[in-house]
Amino acid sequence: MELKERLTSVFHTVFDNDAIELTPELTADDVDEWDSLSHINLMIAIELEFGIEFSQNEIQNFANVGELMASINEKLAAK
Amino acid sequence: MLNDNITYGCCTKHVENGDGDKLILHWVDSDLSRTSYTYSYFERESNRVAQVLRALGINPGDTVSIFIPRSPMLISCFFGILKLQAISSILFGTLGEEGLLDRLSNSNARVVITRKSLLRKIVSIKEKLPALEHILVIDIDDDQNDVVLSMKHMLANAEPFFDYPHHVAPETPAFLQYTSGSTGKPKGALHVHGALPDMQNSFKEIMQLEADDLYWCTADPAWITGLVYGIIAPFSTAARQLQYNGTYNADNWLRILGEDRVTVWYTAPTALRMLMQEDAEKFEQHDFSSLKRMYSVGEPLNPEIYFWGKKVFGVEIYDNWWQSETGSMMIANRPPMTVKPGSMGKPRSGVEPLICSEEMETLPPGKQGLLCLRKGWGSMFRNYFRNDAAYADKFHRDIYTTGDLAYYDEDGYYWYVSRADDVINTAGHLVGPFEVESALLEIPEIVDVAVIGADDPLIHKRIIAFIKLGNNVEWTKELELKCRIYVSNKVSTTAIPAEFHLIERVPKNQSGKILRRVLKALYEGKDPGDLSTME
Repeated sequence: MELKERLTSVFHTVFDNDAIELTPELTADDVDEWDSLSHINLMIAIELEFGIEFSQNEIQNFANVGELMASINEKLAAK
Repeated sequence: MLNDNITYGCCTKHVENGDGDKLILHWVDSDLSRTSYTYSYFERESNRVAQVLRALGINPGDTVSIFIPRSPMLISCFFGILKLQAISSILFGTLGEEGLLDRLSNSNARVVITRKSLLRKIVSIKEKLPALEHILVIDIDDDQNDVVLSMKHMLANAEPFFDYPHHVAPETPAFLQYTSGSTGKPKGALHVHGALPDMQNSFKEIMQLEADDLYWCTADPAWITGLVYGIIAPFSTAARQLQYNGTYNADNWLRILGEDRVTVWYTAPTALRMLMQEDAEKFEQHDFSSLKRMYSVGEPLNPEIYFWGKKVFGVEIYDNWWQSETGSMMIANRPPMTVKPGSMGKPRSGVEPLICSEEMETLPPGKQGLLCLRKGWGSMFRNYFRNDAAYADKFHRDIYTTGDLAYYDEDGYYWYVSRADDVINTAGHLVGPFEVESALLEIPEIVDVAVIGADDPLIHKRIIAFIKLGNNVEWTKELELKCRIYVSNKVSTTAIPAEFHLIERVPKNQSGKILRRVLKALYEGKDPGDLSTME
């Protein structure tokens, strides 16, 4: 499965919303359920799905899904 | 004696007085684009909302829930509902399925106004809501069936005129504000149109805005502060105000404060604590010279954050205290008072607080006790909707017990101590442990659970869950995630426990009540005290 597909599945599970469509520009302001508290759930779920770890700084500073995907790709490549 | 309908006082009256073109709301979107709105805009749009609801048979006393994010549309819906003398109930978009069901079910909502992205949450519980007749969706073009209707289409075809009685009996119900208790389901504090003068007067006495001020209240309108001091009080007193359509974003907030020249800012301690974590240089890039003063509400404003805020923004910060039930600010710091850092200030006009013992005897200065209020202020809640017993429990003769512990000093300043019950104040949201426990108990791997609040330097209290797992169940990161997601989607994101601890047995007394003090002591490494009642 491609990264985008896997990440989409994580978003659907975390936010219990199968209608979410990932685009690089998508931000927390575009998803009703995505706030600073559910963001932690999202980060944990991504770490478990991809077997990676984010730093505290990264967790707080992803501006959009595009940046998030780039970071996941980078961490997977470095594994 | 009749009273202004809240919408008349907030909107129609100003149009009648020739101020229809006055720019009353400066809306800043999350991309920082700006749009300004007039009284006439809200008068027209709320007329359309009222037309749509009347066509669906909404009558005075019916409940209409608003389940959309903060927006000019939300404000128009609120005003439109009140024009019909129906009861508005604004709900947080982050509510989970169970949280939503509790509120819609208790309020007997006949109509819910929502948007496409939130629709599935309501559809999934619709069968459990026999009173719910219509779901109006603001951003779909066509009706989906006889229940799910396109509000967009209906509004486009509605007349922008609506005749309604401008004056109503003061006790006419206006809106419900849901709040959590230490046991049972969330309760809907019922407020009436007769509360309007008290809301206006408290705003004038405490905020003291002048004609050229630009006021910004950061609270969401699903929170009592966002409704009363983000919509009702500023609209009805013709205060120039700004609102930001977005979640907390330090860069955007600081830019707005500086670039839009905000003069009076009403925010919350958690927001200030989050700002405090930002790099100091970030603040130096902005000009806050237009700011005259700040106000804070939701949790105690501890001295550390008070002194930090005062230094960074260069103005006084006035903390205040009130609740969903009180309907307006009760105890407040305000100019020209000298602020005692950490104190919530002094009672405003018409408010008589008392500090009482458990036997309801009044206590002198310096003695900690139950913070109570003598009945009689205009914006007091009139009931918990369809829960007379819970309402009666809050009163001892003519004394309302707030559920908070506090004391006052020789100078008449009040000091918050803690909640007197088990309710957890996390980032300004009250969370009942029962709601979180009920959700966690639905997870098959968990056989028992207890939830407490623990001190947190950022959000005042964080939620701690003690769980007993079933036989042969192993605690894993995956199971923790499952618990977190379940609570988030069932109850609310604000109810997600920050920590999970495994426990052999949940301490309970002989009647099965969870002994939270024992868990608190265990968590804090203190002596749990008398355990003689433990089962």
